[in-house]
Amino acid sequence: MPALDNFFLIALPYLAVVICLVGSFYRIKTRPMTYSALSSQFLESKGLMWGSLPWHIGIITIIAAHFIAFLVPGFWQALLSNQTVLLFVEAAGLGLSLLCLFGLAALLLRRFTSEKVQSVTSQMDLVVLVVLLLQVALGAHMAASLSWGSLWCVGTTVPYLWSLLSFTPDLSLVQDLPLAAKAHIVLAWVLILLVPFSRLIHMFAVPLEYIGRPWQNVVWVSDRRKEAAPQAFVEGEARRYFVKGGLAAVFGLSLLSVGVFDKIFRFFFGPRLTAHQETELMTTRLSRLEATSSQRKLELERQENDYILVGSLAELSSEKGKYFIDYSMMPALAFKTAEGLPLLISAKCTHLGCTVGADAVDGKILCPCHISYFSIDTGMPNADSPAKTPLPHLGWVVMDTRGNQLASFSGNGAVKGTISEAQRTSARVYIAKAHQIG
Amino acid sequence: MTRDNSGISKTASALSFIADRFPLEKMNLEHMLAHKEVPVHKMSWGYYTGGMTMFFFMIQVITGLFLLFYYQPTVSDANLSVEYITKYVSVGGLIRNMHAWSASGMIFFAVVHLITAFAMKSFEKPRELTWIMGVLLLIITFTFGFTGYLLPWNQIAVNATKVGLQSVEDIGQYLPGMLHDVPRILRETFQGEASVGQSTLGRFYALHVVLLPLALAGLLGIHLLQVQVHGMSQGVDEKPKKQERFFPVFLFKDLTLWGVLFFILFTFSLCIPFESFLPFPLLAPYDAMGATPPGIKPEWYFFFVYYPLELLPFWVILLASGLIGAVLIFTPWIFKGSSRKTLGFIATAVSLYLLIMTLFGEQIYHLLKH
Repeated sequence: MPALDNFFLIALPYLAVVICLVGSFYRIKTRPMTYSALSSQFLESKGLMWGSLPWHIGIITIIAAHFIAFLVPGFWQALLSNQTVLLFVEAAGLGLSLLCLFGLAALLLRRFTSEKVQSVTSQMDLVVLVVLLLQVALGAHMAASLSWGSLWCVGTTVPYLWSLLSFTPDLSLVQDLPLAAKAHIVLAWVLILLVPFSRLIHMFAVPLEYIGRPWQNVVWVSDRRKEAAPQAFVEGEARRYFVKGGLAAVFGLSLLSVGVFDKIFRFFFGPRLTAHQETELMTTRLSRLEATSSQRKLELERQENDYILVGSLAELSSEKGKYFIDYSMMPALAFKTAEGLPLLISAKCTHLGCTVGADAVDGKILCPCHISYFSIDTGMPNADSPAKTPLPHLGWVVMDTRGNQLASFSGNGAVKGTISEAQRTSARVYIAKAHQIG
Repeated sequence: MTRDNSGISKTASALSFIADRFPLEKMNLEHMLAHKEVPVHKMSWGYYTGGMTMFFFMIQVITGLFLLFYYQPTVSDANLSVEYITKYVSVGGLIRNMHAWSASGMIFFAVVHLITAFAMKSFEKPRELTWIMGVLLLIITFTFGFTGYLLPWNQIAVNATKVGLQSVEDIGQYLPGMLHDVPRILRETFQGEASVGQSTLGRFYALHVVLLPLALAGLLGIHLLQVQVHGMSQGVDEKPKKQERFFPVFLFKDLTLWGVLFFILFTFSLCIPFESFLPFPLLAPYDAMGATPPGIKPEWYFFFVYYPLELLPFWVILLASGLIGAVLIFTPWIFKGSSRKTLGFIATAVSLYLLIMTLFGEQIYHLLKH
């Protein structure tokens, strides 16, 4: 319902923040002794430990995470784009919220059952506890069923909060969230509103000076503490202690070993693959062997032969180069010039070695890795290409079907010989070992 | 018998040098274990760094032995066998990952150990031999990293090795006349053939699995013997007021630390594949015919020399490396009179350089190259 939404998600936030700020300021100024949360540790300490520690540890971490997501959503989103990190954060959030619930339950129990504590409990203390319990329960529910909130908040609640902060409230961002999420948001505003009227104001009294404070040695003087103080062990007792500890360690280790031994035994037993997996493995192995052997065959061909066939002159074109492997096992391209002569150029980009593309647009070929254009005629790269040195041309030899040399080119210099029109259709292009340098 | 200035014969002074470093009267179990004490002071944490390095080495040996069962050192099978280990062998992926992470751990703590031992002036007499053994151990450790990196035989492995060996050959341009060819011949000897191929893989495998471990075990033995015989160095300027017994107090603290390190290593290996730091094309099986994929770089522990190599002229790096190498080996004599304050300053400066160059080397390179 739009009216309710408008109130709870736009009006209430502003109201809550203003009341919180003004009220807290007023309270700190006029009643400074009520600024802190008035510890009841000396009245009842055990329940306080079980309740307050887990609660505070959990809630401080959770609120810190909420705050980081709010302050730097871009960074947060980038951080959480890694699945492992996301899983960790979500798991931590759920775990911590359960820790908080445990702590709150302990605190609530304490307030309900301890007479001493009840003597200093106000109604608001109980209200705060219950509201916090509800809020954290909603949070835990969201972590469990409306998963990945740490990510989807970046697109919904975080921009919503920023829109409030910039006085351009945008309801559409959170309007369609599930009820649990909206309740969580609304309850948060309620808690902010309650700050100046309750013990929650102690959030503003964080004792930061403790961080730099020198160590303070606390000496407990109760009988119970005296018992727990370290005493000199009688030697026999010490030995019993060691044996007990040793047995415990052995027990723990043997439990660990069960899992380890299972895995290690299986390691040595060997993976027993299914027939399908074995076949797949064989095929892959064969293809790798074939790749190695075909490379060796090419090397052999280049060792043995004085001429390697590139292709027939007729199949070469000036727009689309033909890939071949030269004598140094490097990729190269074969084109045909306007005069009908072959043009062979290295295809190993002079920048970082990628294989240059075969399509010649306006007489230029393109290396796709870092966008370098090379002119086929001169081999020179464009001025704005990352490649700075030209692609070298390769020498070639054109022979007729009988093996007679018609024309040749050594790589630089002039073309020797001519190819007549009649011979063009059947002539073949080769690279020559003699043209190799060194 | 020649006599030097102080009146002692040269032979006698050489013998007394060795006798000081290997005091036979102290080489018994009682002195080395039962009565050994470890000083307790502000820099006591430095005493654990050597043990941490050794811990990671032990992990390497164990995980390496496991990997040895299934790895095949041939160019057609290497990459496939690593894939097999990761995919099919029980805990194969975990063992492989532990081996990779532990390698980085060992090198990291070896360097930390070097810097702390330097800052604590542990190389003072009679511990000079310990120091020199340590420097040799460091070189062996880096060689372990270099040889092991090639074994998976993927794009980054082979190309990074090629780049690394190329810098050996590049020394040749500075050598006069006939020596000009020596680095190239040296490089081809390392390679075993004209370019990195089966011969290289075979010998790098032999180095990594047998020769280097033997060398390291031998040197480590002497290194540890020296430590046990001479005890832990004082480490600070004023004599420490408190000492703790090596056995059991220090030992148990050491073992606890190892336990924590193992936990961290195990968690990392379980959750973060070492390969996740590299883009996939670099991890594809090596293709001799294909183009070199972009982004080839050595392992992180070489960054401190790789990025300066890319930025500065080669001869500068060569000179600097030579000087630093010489300084490292002769530290016990060069810094004999230095105060621990100065040593600490140098150690901090070196650590800062290593940290910044390793973490931000790539950014610095891009910043300065444009």
